[in-house]
Amino acid sequence: MTTNTLSSAFRKIDVDLYNEDSYREDEQGEPQSPPAGPDPSEVTALLDAGNNIEALKVVLRNAPLSSRNQQVKDAAVQLTLKVLMSFKSSQIDEAIAALDTETIDVLMKYIYRGFEFPSEKRSGQLLIWHEKVYAIGGAGSIVRVLTDTKRA
Amino acid sequence: MSSTLRPYLTAVRNTLHAAMCVDNFSSQVVERHNKPEVEVRTSHELLLTPVLISRNEREKVLIEGSINSVRISISVKQADDIERILCKKFMRFMMMRAENFIVLRRKAVDGYDISFLITNFHTEQMYKHKLVDFVLHFMEEIDKEISEMKLAVNARARICAEEFLKRF
Amino acid sequence: MSEKYSFGVNPITCHAWNKERSQLASSPNNHEVHIYQRGGPGCEWPLTDVLEQHDLRVTGIDWAPNTNRIVTCAADRNAYVWTQTEDGKWKPTLVLLRINRAATCVRWSPKENKFAVGSGARLISVCYFEKGNDWWVSKHIKKPIRSTVTCLDWHPNNWLLAAGSADFKVRVFSGLIKEVEGTPTEPSKWAAKTTLGTCLAEFCNSNLGGGWIRSVSFSEDGNRLCWVSHDASICLVDITKGLTVHKLRSKHLPFLNCVWVGPSAIVVSVGSCLQLNLILSIGFDKNAHFLNILPCSAMRKFQSLDRQARLESSDTELETVHQNAITCLRIYKGERGSASKLSTSGADGQLVIWDLQVNSPLKFQNV
Repeated sequence: MTTNTLSSAFRKIDVDLYNEDSYREDEQGEPQSPPAGPDPSEVTALLDAGNNIEALKVVLRNAPLSSRNQQVKDAAVQLTLKVLMSFKSSQIDEAIAALDTETIDVLMKYIYRGFEFPSEKRSGQLLIWHEKVYAIGGAGSIVRVLTDTKRA
Repeated sequence: MSSTLRPYLTAVRNTLHAAMCVDNFSSQVVERHNKPEVEVRTSHELLLTPVLISRNEREKVLIEGSINSVRISISVKQADDIERILCKKFMRFMMMRAENFIVLRRKAVDGYDISFLITNFHTEQMYKHKLVDFVLHFMEEIDKEISEMKLAVNARARICAEEFLKRF
Repeated sequence: MSEKYSFGVNPITCHAWNKERSQLASSPNNHEVHIYQRGGPGCEWPLTDVLEQHDLRVTGIDWAPNTNRIVTCAADRNAYVWTQTEDGKWKPTLVLLRINRAATCVRWSPKENKFAVGSGARLISVCYFEKGNDWWVSKHIKKPIRSTVTCLDWHPNNWLLAAGSADFKVRVFSGLIKEVEGTPTEPSKWAAKTTLGTCLAEFCNSNLGGGWIRSVSFSEDGNRLCWVSHDASICLVDITKGLTVHKLRSKHLPFLNCVWVGPSAIVVSVGSCLQLNLILSIGFDKNAHFLNILPCSAMRKFQSLDRQARLESSDTELETVHQNAITCLRIYKGERGSASKLSTSGADGQLVIWDLQVNSPLKFQNV
């Protein structure tokens, strides 16, 4: 037996990928104007002014979910986390009440994304957010985090 | 410290409820087969976004969903070397007997201590809320179990040391 | 309130009624189809026949009311049409589906001269009876389906076919078989082109991507199409007002079934997971929202239990009527668009008949 046949790399090739009728993601191509994400200076200014709720609305409204540029997305995640961390626990209810259903879904996506950067303090805060958003958005908001292909 | 335990478990519970909506689904790649899509990963569109819920750097749960199966991977708190060894041995003990636990995966997903695989066949045979309860119960008990074992090991070591040092 | 029958512990994967609703065909999550006859007290549902021809799990059953034929399809890639013989037994005829993956769903057309079978082979077989050879043959609708076809529904005009699939899209096809019905005379708002397999409309389930389609349904007049998907939302298209999709995102777990029960009311079944295994009835006005939830008290009770995150062992029984996912939803009394009773079968082996007038204060006619 030659050494060539010992290689098992060919087994890992996904041949079904080349089926013409198999599912492909995002066939419509890049959107005309890729979303640039929220403006950090605007958000920071709002946070400095103590206007947390408005800052939250800005980051969620401009969330670059459909962007394919990972850097833009990561920047938006960090900015959103910064905003989420700036809230006191007592303010959270008020903030969620100011959001509509669709923004709540976006918020839930960022909460789950935030869990991927664990730290004692941050995770604790995100768990409180999660509980309160779930109380308003219900199971549906979690289901949409799972199903939507456009992720935070 | 323990103040985050309850919200952590609640978040895991709610996410599991949402992810465990699974259905019988025959493979669309292999004829007459029915496989957990989350494991075979042959059709991208049948997988859900994997989500992670963390309590701190060490304690986290990864939930990967698909159309007919859910994979839950748990990373358990390990504060020192003894806990690390105990956790490893204990998980190994259970995973070697995975078939007795029905929903346990034989091998943990990389980076986690233990994994469960729940398919539509499990949810058909068992109550779904009980399956969720089982995972939650496991997460609660495992910490307790390991710290108890640690105490037992330490106590035993102390007695051994005492007996040994009596000679001198 | 609602009639509740239990058929053992096995899940009922699907069920269908005959025209008089005196007989029931259901599959206990295996290769068999059981025919039950509604009986008297003592034995409520005596088993009259077992249809054994498939060799894998039956995935779809449909009973043609007027011609009294049953069609079944299964994960073994086959479908059979069953006709009743003089002695009351059922005789199978094989259908040449020509598919190489599991069949997932089957529906008779309204005129009962053909039926459509969806499959994991990413295609739909439209089947009709060929007299010359005395068998059922099929024609394929293939493009542009990219994943398993999960649900089907015929338009009342007998040639349009809506299909939902796991690639997050709902499509309306022409299912016209020239050999059977020639060319349609009545015009349709959906399309002018009638060649079999033409994709006349394609709707994306969500602008955020994702959500396997679970069920599609045409309204009584065929101008409106609704579907439910795995992202816990319900969508509606009114062709008289263009191709815009109205989407309603819910707070619940994913919906599994939908059916029109009034001119502007849809019932959807929630769940595939524990707590909300009940039926919601909703109506669409301009903004489209949920108007009513059928067994409210049971749900509230359970929600309060859930909020306390109870862990005691006494909570095994759920407060809802069904103890597991609702797998199939059918109209029991009335027609599409004017139903007064519905039947649901669940993975808990139960069949429940719901009376809409009793269970809900909603007046469907006025919505």
